[in-house]
Amino acid sequence: MITIISKIELEGEDNLKSSDVGYTSDVDVINEINEAYDASLGLFLGENRTKLELNLVSVSSFFSETPYVNEARTQVENTEGLVLIEITNINQL
Amino acid sequence: MSVPIKGNTTSNNSTPGGSFRNQAHTQNTGSGGLIVAQFCMSNSVSYSSATYGGFAMTQLYQINRSGLGQRMAFFYLENPPTGSNTLRVNFSGSQWNPLSTHIRSFTNSGGIGNSLRSGGSATPHNASLTVSDDSLIMMTSCSINAITSQQIPTGTNQSYSQHNTNRQVATGAISSNAGHSAGSIALRATSTFGNISLDRTEILGVSSPVSTGNGDFFLVM
Repeated sequence: MITIISKIELEGEDNLKSSDVGYTSDVDVINEINEAYDASLGLFLGENRTKLELNLVSVSSFFSETPYVNEARTQVENTEGLVLIEITNINQL
Repeated sequence: MSVPIKGNTTSNNSTPGGSFRNQAHTQNTGSGGLIVAQFCMSNSVSYSSATYGGFAMTQLYQINRSGLGQRMAFFYLENPPTGSNTLRVNFSGSQWNPLSTHIRSFTNSGGIGNSLRSGGSATPHNASLTVSDDSLIMMTSCSINAITSQQIPTGTNQSYSQHNTNRQVATGAISSNAGHSAGSIALRATSTFGNISLDRTEILGVSSPVSTGNGDFFLVM
């Protein structure tokens, strides 16, 4: 199984934008990316979910300090049709 | 009939963070093309539409599992554009909870057949689906607890993706490549304990060409 790495950033004033930036089969790379996501944007979303739904908090407040985060939670069986580079080290991102 | 040919799959469990989510997916080349998408997310918003490569997909079902606080849906498109395209699913408002997405392509498919849905029932949840000869069955389940199997038919574990939408979701389970014989197929979904839902949908094969016997024929002018 191949995992697609996405770049998550702010779009407009209050939406998330996801763009695919690479792929990997390295479990260590996947875990490192998702642990960083869970400790940053994932944590923000978890703590503010209800307030986000009620428009009491804007996701833009998270991105005022962090331009983007990566996430590795898309899985495909092969790279057919993908125009992406293989990521073997998180420093490539 | 001949069995549908399984193609590419794409599975994702991210938070849309907006009123839609785009997901790239590559549709295989071949006749009888079909793309299907299974979704599950918090019922705080609903699914309003889906497109693939800009073409509107048909909503087979959308069901609010109020006991689980989840909304599950199935969209499909026959003869979709081939190659890498974007599958876009739109919501009635911004979704800040994780979305479970499973997309699968087929070729040599006759489209969608029977489909039934069963809400949460104590594990093991047993159900059935009546299918035509050479059809495949896709299955999905949701539970508060970890899902431990998707059996198509009962007794045969099929692989699936386990997603977390603040509930547990099993998505992507499908019959073995050989397909089923016509009739009622027993199905089972299990979780560690408690209730689990069981939704199932038939993927039809295509009719075999009419045999010309020994090849002799008359041409009437």
